[in-house]
Amino acid sequence: MTDIKNIERYLYDEADLLDNPDLDSWIKLYSEDGTYWMPVTEDQKDPLNHVSILYDDRVMMEVRRRNFVHPRAASKDHKVRSSHIISNVRIIGNNDKGDLVVTSNFQALVFYRNEQRAFGGKYEHHLISEGDSYKIRHKKVTLINCDAPQKTLTVYL
Amino acid sequence: MPYSNEDIGKLVESTKIHRDVYTKEEIFELEMERIWSKAWIFIGHDSQVPNRGDYYATNITHKIPVVMTRDQKGEVNVLHNRCAHKGAKLVDTRCGNARAFTCCYHGWCFNTDGTLLKIPNEKGYDNTGFDIKDPKNNIQKVAQSENYRGFVFATLDPDAPDLKTWMGGALDVFDNLCDRAPEGEVEAAGGVLRYEHDCNWKLFLENLNDTMHPMVTHQSVVQAAKDYISTLPAEAASQRAEAEIIPPFGASFEVFENTEITGFKYGHHYDGGKSSIHADYSVLPAYNDAMVAAYGEERTREIFSFNTHNTLYYPSVTIKSAVQNIRVVRPLAVNKCIVETWSFRLKGAPDEILQRTLLYSRLINSSASMVGPDDLEAYMRIQSGLESNGDDWVDMARQFGRDKDQGDRTVGGGTSDLDVRTQYTAWRNYMTDAYGTVEER
Repeated sequence: MTDIKNIERYLYDEADLLDNPDLDSWIKLYSEDGTYWMPVTEDQKDPLNHVSILYDDRVMMEVRRRNFVHPRAASKDHKVRSSHIISNVRIIGNNDKGDLVVTSNFQALVFYRNEQRAFGGKYEHHLISEGDSYKIRHKKVTLINCDAPQKTLTVYL
Repeated sequence: MPYSNEDIGKLVESTKIHRDVYTKEEIFELEMERIWSKAWIFIGHDSQVPNRGDYYATNITHKIPVVMTRDQKGEVNVLHNRCAHKGAKLVDTRCGNARAFTCCYHGWCFNTDGTLLKIPNEKGYDNTGFDIKDPKNNIQKVAQSENYRGFVFATLDPDAPDLKTWMGGALDVFDNLCDRAPEGEVEAAGGVLRYEHDCNWKLFLENLNDTMHPMVTHQSVVQAAKDYISTLPAEAASQRAEAEIIPPFGASFEVFENTEITGFKYGHHYDGGKSSIHADYSVLPAYNDAMVAAYGEERTREIFSFNTHNTLYYPSVTIKSAVQNIRVVRPLAVNKCIVETWSFRLKGAPDEILQRTLLYSRLINSSASMVGPDDLEAYMRIQSGLESNGDDWVDMARQFGRDKDQGDRTVGGGTSDLDVRTQYTAWRNYMTDAYGTVEER
């Protein structure tokens, strides 16, 4: 029986790495074939045959990490601060890869370009059990306003 | 103080633009009346309304909502999204399917071609002169709409030239986009991205073929991608479409200079032709085979070798024929617009081709990409800088005097400001009502 407290702690730790921010450590939470997906519609089935706001594998995470700190990325001149809250954590069960599927609700305040913005929606994590902890094979972030016009987003949520 | 035509004419000189053009609300409102209500505006692709009763709602200007419908006869219409009774917006969802449009207020009910079908309790109009068959009781069609190879445009100007005349030589790029499909047709596929831009709509357009910015604005992502992808095993790196898409954004001034810029009447222009930053994309063998089977070897080479970067149909839509995506601008205010990115499937091509298009849209044009946000950052800084009266003028002088007049088009160096000068010639002509009175480009 999976202890939901462990799962919750893991999700909080992940959010903490985003809020710190510590992208180096955050990327290491992901398995080698790990992916991060922010679809643009509520019921989007697929990240490849439909456009998405964001869909990165480990390679693109590494590119993004380098871009975040590049001195000539003008949109990154503005420091970003975020604050995540995660709740309603539920264990859905194991998918066909044997990964543990966990859903949760999240809200994140993001301060960027002198403006505070609120993001919210649903997380879906696919977790690979690894000793006492987990690796993330897949994280899906469905914003409640995913299909609305979006402003620039320079961070993972 | 309202702007006279003489005042407006003074805002654009041959090599510079007055900052009021980007910051004054009065100018924005005049643009909506004189440019956006006169030019052909892109509405949507007819594949967005494939079935009878399908509709797609959008806007021509910030104040003029329209709806594209496929009526019961199968025809595509562009209607004002406004009830003929008391003016309520009829459709307030983005898209869907309807047997008829019923107004939410008094239940007036219209066919999807706009004709009035029925009204409740009609006897109340007895002896008032009301006639249900009177066309003035229909949802009004926009002044003109036309469909070019599936791309639906509309204009509010009954006197506007027909769409093909208006597009002129820039039409070649729409043809190239469709010809890249083995079946000669494209369809909208894989959804839309909408990106809110806190800047004047023209700043987005001026950037499209601004080839002096990529190596500066996008150097961070180019370097990040090159640095990391170079650490991957060669085989893994070669399989990544990102490795073809991102690095050309860092191409040298010389590479861009050689692409050339071509400008047309009414503000249209493209960068490239013989070559572009999309020219070195690999061609999937199965796709090449399908093209050769459809067109023959020679015609296929011809289609692939016409390679443009961005092609702007001023003012509302820019297309990338080699990538098969388009961006549509919807102005909301003097300092705000929405940029939509739509991707297209080449009919008869393998699925991987659409996947690359969608990858491009996400990787370059998404609000969370590593390219678009750096462009927008520059536009927002211009928007805020131009509020200052520190200097009144914005420059567009690069290679001025070297543009070559070739009859229906003007050709200049790939790093020239010919693209901006082309837009502002059109801007001034529209804004001073010069089109229709003089033949001026």
